[in-house]
Amino acid sequence: MAGVWVFAENYDYCLELLQIGRSLADKTGVQLTAFACGDKGIGQQYIYYGADQVFILPPLAEDQPLGTYVPAIVEAARQEDPDIILCAATLRGKEIAARVAAGLNTGLCSECIALAINSDNKLEMKRVIYGGAAMQTLTCKTRPQMATIPPHTFTPVTELDDTRSGIIKEIGPISSTPVKVLAKKPRAKESGDITRSRVLVCVGRGVEKEGDLKLAGDLAETLGGDLACTRPIAEELHWMPQETYIGLSGQKVKPELYIGLGISGQIQHTTGIRDARVICSINKDEDAPIFKISDYGIVGDLYEVVPFLSQELARLKKK
Amino acid sequence: MDFKLTEEQELIRANMREFCQKYVDPIAVEIDENSRYPAEIIAKLAEMDWMGMPYPQEYGGAGLDYLTYTMVIEELSRSCAATGFTLSCHIGLASGPIYNFGTEEQKQKYLTPLCKGEHIGAFALTEPGAGTDVGAGSTTAVLDGNEYILNGTKTFTSNGPVADTFVVFAVTDKTQRANKAMSAFIVSKDAPGFKVGEHFYKMGIRASQTSEIILKDCRIPKENLLGKEGQGFKIAMQTLDNGRIGVAAQAVGIAQAALDESIKYSKERIQFGKPISKNQALQWMMADMATDISAAQFLTYNAAYLKDQGAPYTKEAAMAKVFAAEMASRHASKAVQIHGGYGYIKGFKVERLMRDAKITEIYEGTSEAQRMVIAGNILR
Amino acid sequence: MLNIIACFKWVIDHEDIKINPETHELVLDRAGYRISDYDRFAIEEAVALTEQYGGSTTAVTVGLPAAKKSLKDALARGPEKAIFINDPAFHNLEPSQTAAILAQSISNQEYDLIICGEGSGDLYAQQVGPRLAEHLNIPCASFVRKITIEGRELIAERRVDEGIEVISMPLPALVTVLPEINSPRVPGLKDTLSAAKKPVVEITASDLGQTFASCLETVEIKATTMERNCEKFGAEKDELKRFIDVLCRAGVVD
Repeated sequence: MAGVWVFAENYDYCLELLQIGRSLADKTGVQLTAFACGDKGIGQQYIYYGADQVFILPPLAEDQPLGTYVPAIVEAARQEDPDIILCAATLRGKEIAARVAAGLNTGLCSECIALAINSDNKLEMKRVIYGGAAMQTLTCKTRPQMATIPPHTFTPVTELDDTRSGIIKEIGPISSTPVKVLAKKPRAKESGDITRSRVLVCVGRGVEKEGDLKLAGDLAETLGGDLACTRPIAEELHWMPQETYIGLSGQKVKPELYIGLGISGQIQHTTGIRDARVICSINKDEDAPIFKISDYGIVGDLYEVVPFLSQELARLKKK
Repeated sequence: MDFKLTEEQELIRANMREFCQKYVDPIAVEIDENSRYPAEIIAKLAEMDWMGMPYPQEYGGAGLDYLTYTMVIEELSRSCAATGFTLSCHIGLASGPIYNFGTEEQKQKYLTPLCKGEHIGAFALTEPGAGTDVGAGSTTAVLDGNEYILNGTKTFTSNGPVADTFVVFAVTDKTQRANKAMSAFIVSKDAPGFKVGEHFYKMGIRASQTSEIILKDCRIPKENLLGKEGQGFKIAMQTLDNGRIGVAAQAVGIAQAALDESIKYSKERIQFGKPISKNQALQWMMADMATDISAAQFLTYNAAYLKDQGAPYTKEAAMAKVFAAEMASRHASKAVQIHGGYGYIKGFKVERLMRDAKITEIYEGTSEAQRMVIAGNILR
Repeated sequence: MLNIIACFKWVIDHEDIKINPETHELVLDRAGYRISDYDRFAIEEAVALTEQYGGSTTAVTVGLPAAKKSLKDALARGPEKAIFINDPAFHNLEPSQTAAILAQSISNQEYDLIICGEGSGDLYAQQVGPRLAEHLNIPCASFVRKITIEGRELIAERRVDEGIEVISMPLPALVTVLPEINSPRVPGLKDTLSAAKKPVVEITASDLGQTFASCLETVEIKATTMERNCEKFGAEKDELKRFIDVLCRAGVVD
């Protein structure tokens, strides 16, 4: 079945793709197909959430990586000739999408942040380039038109319709790959998933020492939010876990409220907060570029401002 | 005429920029504040073959032309003028005369470790009573059997506290006129009777180490005479001609840094609701800076080019030095002006640049001395 | 002994990109070019692995003839030789073309391992590595932060969304590496001077015997803008209270 196909390595991201996939399929009058990895039950759920068809990929052996599915996806696409394939831009997803695109000799828009159908009935895709300095709009001349979509770019489908029915097709068996998974080291869950936080307090180089993170942590706690950081804090200083840094190569976040502490505002970082609803920043340098992209900026010493804000907010809360 | 850099020159310049970003920029403020010798930078410069760059590979150098060397000094000085000077003093003033006037044995023994960066070099000419008037020096050298005995005091010896090998000038024949009275010697810091005096705390280029050198019955082997007896003045003047190109490059680097900082700051600083870079008064200052920097750069490269060609370059080196030095001082001061109050605060780079620029008008021949050289050349 | 191919791209230095304030178009005519920062990690890793296990590194790039300038820079960083695939037609190549051209050029080379950066400094599409592996039909692992070689097996620690996955794969294989994998060396002066003497193999489009059509079409490229309130507050207590009040009214603090 032609139409719009979606592939994500996990359930939540797949629901996000089903949202945008459904809307693209409706606009172009085609069907929506989702891949489910190894589980028929999940496949049925995807149909309740809007898919017209589900491909069930066979379960993977313990030592087989997700990429094992690539030849099966390529083969299915060759047979059915979809118009569009969307893939969640998880780290594995990005690799898989690129390999599928190579297998199908087609174009792929990486980390696409906006999708639309243009007047020629073609998919118009937007992505940032040059380290966040520019936005490129692309169309694809070959089929299928492919894009990877960063997690949380679209809200997941929430309306479940358990009267919906669709086709469930099992794919397989698939052959194993020479790539073997020897071990998995899940990272310690030191912090929440910042991509889902409603409020984020983000620390940058203006925070002088590791012990001072508590200051920021207190503010985050008072606001019911989480702590995040810039790349140097995680990668160079190792004060915070890898998954808490925001930016071009890190997490893209869309909280209701973002408060940056001692962040200068380099484009590599700010490109990750583009979608925050309200951006606030505290910096003693009144010329810090972060103020140009802030809704509300406080020019002042974060060591004086932050404790006062925490205290004042806590007082308001008690009331 | 070809004003284009070669691919190699561009790449070498870019390498030095990368070197500065990784090793120099992170500590430039601290070494200035503490007047500290950046031993770790010098060790890296040695490791990466920069310490003998214009000398032949047979002596451990890299065989670069003088023009490329000039660009490297300019680039290094853009990050830290003190480090730039430490290197140009080592290469131009100390290693230079040994390469140009030394015997093969002297080159093997002294130039090679200098080029490899195993030794640091210094140049001891100035005396408390003999600055621009080089001929008024009172340090003496007397031959005693197989040794020379040196007596006297040298001052403002750059690299003095950290150097292993010194080129020292002393009077060997008082009966001669000034330009024939002096000779040059290679003196090791281990020579008996050789003492390094106190380190001077300076206004600028504070990370460059400067001291007195005290020679008290200092005995050195006879074969450490550089060139012939009586050639000292000539060796000093020729060495300073070379050194001046290095100082000019240093001044261009300082001025370029002043412009870099001014552009960055003026675009970010908002006053009256707009960046101060939108004010014509500041635009003109920066336009003048950019123009003067280009002019100084051409003068400097021209002097280095002539030297590479084996053509006379004394006048051109003096012109480059006086023009570049005065322009660096003027524009570093303008850069502070553009920064307003912030420019006057410790830790802002322009404040350091203004202090660092001033010395370029003074050492290796004051601006007045340069004009004497130029006038002497055009009026004779 | 390892034969390693390190791929790199000569990219526009995005620090040099200027923006026309009226049209939001990019002004690139005075921008400089450099080896993509991400690819410096690829070159360093290749060189470090050959230092550890023996062997040699070949640096490979695809681009316009003007990218020739990148070769000495790349070679100064340690590779023994370079392959320069260039043609005036290789303008604004997209990842599918770059990967296909690389595959065609590399297919008759001997190699044990291909290392790419995680993405390029300009487009950062992160596709060339995995696409190239697919074309060459070799196993690949992307976002790798550690590599060890055991005989003919490569063990890699790669980042995945939920942590680290340790994988093994037989050589020849391809990896894309993360910046955390190493700290690239700064080339010394003699490295730079000797780079000119290292061999460079040039391959042009006609040598490849086929054309490489693009799949994507750029509709437009515009500077990004972030329109925000840009209201500033002082650090005095009444200012901070006003700040909190504004956040409450915006409905982001309850």
